[in-house]
Amino acid sequence: MNEIELLNWVRGPGLNIAVAVFLLGTIWRLFEIYSLGRKKDLSAPRHAAGASGLHTVVRRSLPPPGMLKRSPVSYIGGYTFHIGLAIVVFFFAPHIVLIENLIGLSWPALPSQLIDLAAVVTMAAMVLMLVDRINKPVKRYLSTFEDYFTWAVTFLPVLTGYLAVKHLLLPYTAMLALHILSVEILLIVLPFTKLFHVFTLFASRWYNGNANAHKGVPV
Amino acid sequence: MSGLDNIPINVEASAMPFGSGNTGAILAELETSLHELLKSGKEHSIDLRSLPLLPGELDYLRERLGTGEVQVEVNALGPSTVVETAIRGVWWVTHRNTLDNVMAEFLEVSFCPDIIRAQRDDVRESLETLSALMAGDHDS
Amino acid sequence: MSRRPTIAEHLARQGISRRAFLKFCAATASLMALPPGMAPAIAEALGKIRRPSVIWLSFQECTGCTESLTRSHSPTVESLIFDMISLDYHHTLMAASGEAAERAREEAMQEPGYLVLVDGSIPVKDGGIYSAIAGISNLQMLKDTVENAAAVVSIGTCAAYGGIPMANPNPTGAMGVQALMDQGLIARKPVINVPGCPPIPVVITGVLAHYLTFSEIPALDALGRPLNFYGDSIHDRCYRRPFYDQGKFAKTFDDEGARKGWCLFELGCKGPTTHNACATTKWNDGTSFPIESGHGCLGCSEPNFWDAGSFYKALSAPADPLTFAAGAVVAGAAVGVGMSFINRAKKSSAKSAHETATLKDLEK
Repeated sequence: MNEIELLNWVRGPGLNIAVAVFLLGTIWRLFEIYSLGRKKDLSAPRHAAGASGLHTVVRRSLPPPGMLKRSPVSYIGGYTFHIGLAIVVFFFAPHIVLIENLIGLSWPALPSQLIDLAAVVTMAAMVLMLVDRINKPVKRYLSTFEDYFTWAVTFLPVLTGYLAVKHLLLPYTAMLALHILSVEILLIVLPFTKLFHVFTLFASRWYNGNANAHKGVPV
Repeated sequence: MSGLDNIPINVEASAMPFGSGNTGAILAELETSLHELLKSGKEHSIDLRSLPLLPGELDYLRERLGTGEVQVEVNALGPSTVVETAIRGVWWVTHRNTLDNVMAEFLEVSFCPDIIRAQRDDVRESLETLSALMAGDHDS
Repeated sequence: MSRRPTIAEHLARQGISRRAFLKFCAATASLMALPPGMAPAIAEALGKIRRPSVIWLSFQECTGCTESLTRSHSPTVESLIFDMISLDYHHTLMAASGEAAERAREEAMQEPGYLVLVDGSIPVKDGGIYSAIAGISNLQMLKDTVENAAAVVSIGTCAAYGGIPMANPNPTGAMGVQALMDQGLIARKPVINVPGCPPIPVVITGVLAHYLTFSEIPALDALGRPLNFYGDSIHDRCYRRPFYDQGKFAKTFDDEGARKGWCLFELGCKGPTTHNACATTKWNDGTSFPIESGHGCLGCSEPNFWDAGSFYKALSAPADPLTFAAGAVVAGAAVGVGMSFINRAKKSSAKSAHETATLKDLEK
């Protein structure tokens, strides 16, 4: 298989399979998680729940007092790479074309120089966070194979995409094929790893806030 | 001449707010080559067809370089024109075929482009021809 | 057979002056995409080499490649290059026909070391019966001819990679020349691929001139294409590239962006993955190339370009419709609901198996 054949495969059957697995996995897990339900809490609420769920969604997005100083890499690095990733994924012209082809929505793209910058910053932040994870004994102790694996499958699409655009290492065609392939791997593993937080993050925060309020710790 | 030349192509400058960046590179290469020519007599030529130029950039280049004092027409396998630009030592060489289509276009940096000079082998042959001619005149 | 004259001798015999020869060499260097300083080396090389015999074989093709070549834009240079070779067999262009034509091919094959030019793909399914010339299958003819050849030049995407005859579902089992060698169906010889549908005429002559002048295969890329013509992608050499970098795209063929000459990526231009010389060499007397006339690149010099999805779909868009998606949503929902029932059953069985602990139990 030469590089153009690989590209044709990842743009055709490969994408078909990856999107199918992604949809199947995502819908399966959403159904399963939300159908689990919780046991009815029979205790009298110590505090009216009110908007505690919603507040928690917002509050947990901000570092608790003192934590920014204790763990700057986690907070700053984490924000940087999530925002950078969003810029690269949603504002690079070829990506918008893909989204438009899949769901029909489109919006203006950012100039490729800005995208380049965002990609470099994203990769730097991700590498920094990995180094921090390995260097800090507690973080290292808490890390499992899944943490490193999900880091890799998130990092690879950014790296291959950047290399493709910049014509580095491999010819553009081959690198583009690898880039699409790496995204397909990401799509396939997303529903079955901690990367599923894309879908569950805000719901679980809301649930925790609500439950805490019920127990008398409103926010 | 092909019919394509009859289709006028006008490039609106506003449609191309920026150049390909190659005209600047060509001018810089000419500058370096002229230095080199003065210093060591080394000649240089740039193939204008090997560079991606925007429509109109060739005209821009021609305008920038201007027209000098010498214009030579060579007739060998179709017409060729050798035009000195206002930048002396830089020659605009256009080779055309018998159908008047451009085959190749160069910017040459030299005191006198090779194509103008009589070639040694040709001179030798011509000498023979002349001698034969004169011998013929004597005979008659 | 008499000694073949060197090319310089051949040209001198036609009364071509040294000055004209110099001009010819300069034009040839430009044609071969070599630096202009190479002209003297070309002149020297042409004084040594002899006119080689060339056999041109046309198989499953549309004659577009020959059309392209015969309409090439510098007739003087091309005709001189064609004077440099002795084209002994080309069934579209040769005057002879029938048995006389085949005899010409057999005679040319007597002296090993000839150059074989192929256009069109070769069918191999069912013993190669789908295309035959003079009762000889294409596969057999190629096999016999390649046996004593010095090298093979595959002209056009069909000969190089199978092209349109090989497109899905490939009813004749069509293959390109290189693939036949890789499978051991014909003898292995050096191959130069000159793909394109058709290839740019001056690229065909440029590649031939390079082989003839230097008697060697030029530097090739991984797909067997000469790097001096196929080294850069259309996108990298495209004059509309700055618009791509600025994010300015034509969305339809008649919108404002299209009129302003913005990038055609979103309209399906395959320039980024296509390697060819169109953007610099251009077509029709160097007038323009497809993108300059407002249409995206089809990617015709790449393998399987015919099966790479719609010509009008952006490179980053899926090549084929996502046929599994709807099924996957339904299946996902079904699995999810199924799992929820299993979980509920687990829960209720746990509930029923639950024994209430009494104070007594705790005091045990």
